[in-house]
Amino acid sequence: MVLELKNIEKSFGEKQVLKGISLTAEGGKAFGLLGRNGAGKTTAIRILMNVFPQNGGEVLFDGEPIDYNKVNFGYLPEERGLYPKKKIFDQLVYFAELKGMKHADAAAAVDYWLSRLGMSEYRNKRLDTLSKGNQQKIQLITALAHDPQIIILDEPFSGLDPVNAMLLKDVVKEEIQKGKIVLFSSHQMNYIEEFCDSIAIINGGKAVLSGDLHGIKRNYPRNRIVVRSEQSTLISSEYGGACVRGEDGELIITLSSPEEKQSVMKHLTELYDIDEIKVFEPSLNDIFVEYAEKQI
Amino acid sequence: MKQFSKILKFELTNYLKNKTFMGVTIFLVVVLAAIMFFPRLSSVFKSEDTAVENTSEDLPVMLVYSDTKEIAEAVSEAFSEAFPDYSVQASDDNLEEVKNKISAGDAECAFVLDGLSSYTYYVNNLSMYDTNTAVASEVLQSIYRMSAMVNGGLSADDASDILTAQIESNTVNLGKDQMQNFFYTYIMIFALYMVILLYGQMVATNVATEKSSRAMEVLITSAKPVNMMFGKVIASCLAGLIQLVAVFGSALLFYQINKSYWGENMIVDSIFNIPVDLFVYMLIFFVLGFFIYAFLYGAVGSTASKLEDINTSVMPITMLFIVGFFVVIFSMTSGSIDNTIIKVCSYIPFTSPMAMFTRIAMSTVAWYEIAISIAILIASVVGVGVISAKIYRVGVLLYGTPPKLSAIIKAVRRK
Repeated sequence: MVLELKNIEKSFGEKQVLKGISLTAEGGKAFGLLGRNGAGKTTAIRILMNVFPQNGGEVLFDGEPIDYNKVNFGYLPEERGLYPKKKIFDQLVYFAELKGMKHADAAAAVDYWLSRLGMSEYRNKRLDTLSKGNQQKIQLITALAHDPQIIILDEPFSGLDPVNAMLLKDVVKEEIQKGKIVLFSSHQMNYIEEFCDSIAIINGGKAVLSGDLHGIKRNYPRNRIVVRSEQSTLISSEYGGACVRGEDGELIITLSSPEEKQSVMKHLTELYDIDEIKVFEPSLNDIFVEYAEKQI
Repeated sequence: MKQFSKILKFELTNYLKNKTFMGVTIFLVVVLAAIMFFPRLSSVFKSEDTAVENTSEDLPVMLVYSDTKEIAEAVSEAFSEAFPDYSVQASDDNLEEVKNKISAGDAECAFVLDGLSSYTYYVNNLSMYDTNTAVASEVLQSIYRMSAMVNGGLSADDASDILTAQIESNTVNLGKDQMQNFFYTYIMIFALYMVILLYGQMVATNVATEKSSRAMEVLITSAKPVNMMFGKVIASCLAGLIQLVAVFGSALLFYQINKSYWGENMIVDSIFNIPVDLFVYMLIFFVLGFFIYAFLYGAVGSTASKLEDINTSVMPITMLFIVGFFVVIFSMTSGSIDNTIIKVCSYIPFTSPMAMFTRIAMSTVAWYEIAISIAILIASVVGVGVISAKIYRVGVLLYGTPPKLSAIIKAVRRK
């Protein structure tokens, strides 16, 4: 399964929100859609889900223009909300049925997910009697119960405690393993970094960076090394201006060329008591800030 | 289609499980039961009462006084027949005593006669509905005429024949009996008025609630806007019909149980003996009229981000409907049911459900006029339905202040 957005354009009135976004997400992998607030992520997701049509460009599924009658989406919107006054089980079954499930299948799927997420005891309660985190778990079921091919999760981790976040991670990993396309949109870079194989950063209505996350990181010049050591003061005095101290006390040494890497590493490990030494790779956070800092 | 039926079922059960909906329905049924059983209950009480009360002593006293005693006696005899609710007595007292008796409450009223053609009516408290003088004048008039004719040489029998001569009259109605059809037209118009305003508001609130609770975010990505809109509107229409059937059905049932006690009450009789063709028209116009307004209400509800905004947003629709309502009501009561305004209104889709039905019920309308009106209405319902679904799709994703009408039209056109 491959989902492709090609040159998607969208304007609201005079304002052009998307100016030709292209990205590719594959089955069995998670894709991270990044961008600052108001960059157009939600608009892109809505076009992808056919909530409104694009002004230009196309959405392809396995190379063909997507057929919304055949491809099924699961969506966890950033703005959470279901029917507050309805019984949880009833509304979950309703949402699954809207996605085309038969009543009995929908009921079975909802019961499975309620127990999978440890929410069975709330089955016949009204939604507004639940805490916010639990409501979010209920909402997650609306995105998963109908076994969709494409799952879109907008800020899935916000508001979850560490235990629930872990549970969600496990669930998402299962879905990825089933070969589904999972699309993440989040500002919590650590989660994206953990899950996503590919990313796209949207800025100014364009994908300013997109592709395999590992590849993106390797493409950064490999002329810096990170060193952790008890003798960091000694090391920094040796390298002087080429050496800066990182946030957690580690040293980052910039080399004049990447080829020096091996000799410098050898030199350091022989001379000093080194805890850790590695080539510096930028974190996703650094990459995001670099590409999204200036609003285009 | 499958999705549509799911939505319809879900929305309909929402109505039927709603406590307010059930409460109002049960309340109306109880009120109607009370009305329909009223004659039976009151006749039970009455039959107990009459056994005790039927003596003339308890009747209020009416005094008749004249300087000429014969006149007083003759008139009081005639009055006894004309006023069965009074105990009529000829008085021998003088005027002052008569007045005192009335003030003291010994008598309720008195006629003090100056001959046959002039009298003074004394009463303690003049009721708004006191018709005694009118009756008295009539009785005195015929006594006067009678005596004049007898004096002029006619025999008493001839004179009485002349005075009581009856004119026989027959009315042959070639069109509609406006009087008889007035009542169900009135009821239908009023039911439509109540149901549209009530349910229209409910549809608007329903949409706005989904929007403000953000359930819309999931709904809009799960279901087609057209299905959502039609599902909601048709569900509310069915709920409205169920409510009406429950209310009027129980009224009919209670009426059948108590039919003998209602006797020959023309109004009630005409309501329950509505002709079948008129009933079918009522149903058609009711459902179509309901749809066209419910769609508008739904569309407007989708543009409001908060429930508080709804009341101002639906105002133009409510006004449109109320104007139509008053045009029809005024035409109905003015007597000229086929005036130009109502004729025009009977083709405009927003007023035709009320206007055309009224014309059909209360005057004679050619079949093609009805057909044209219904055709325009059906086309408009479909058109308004599709447009509202488009507005809905745009509206539900707009948060913040409700957009201006022009902005909505622009947004819908762009699609």
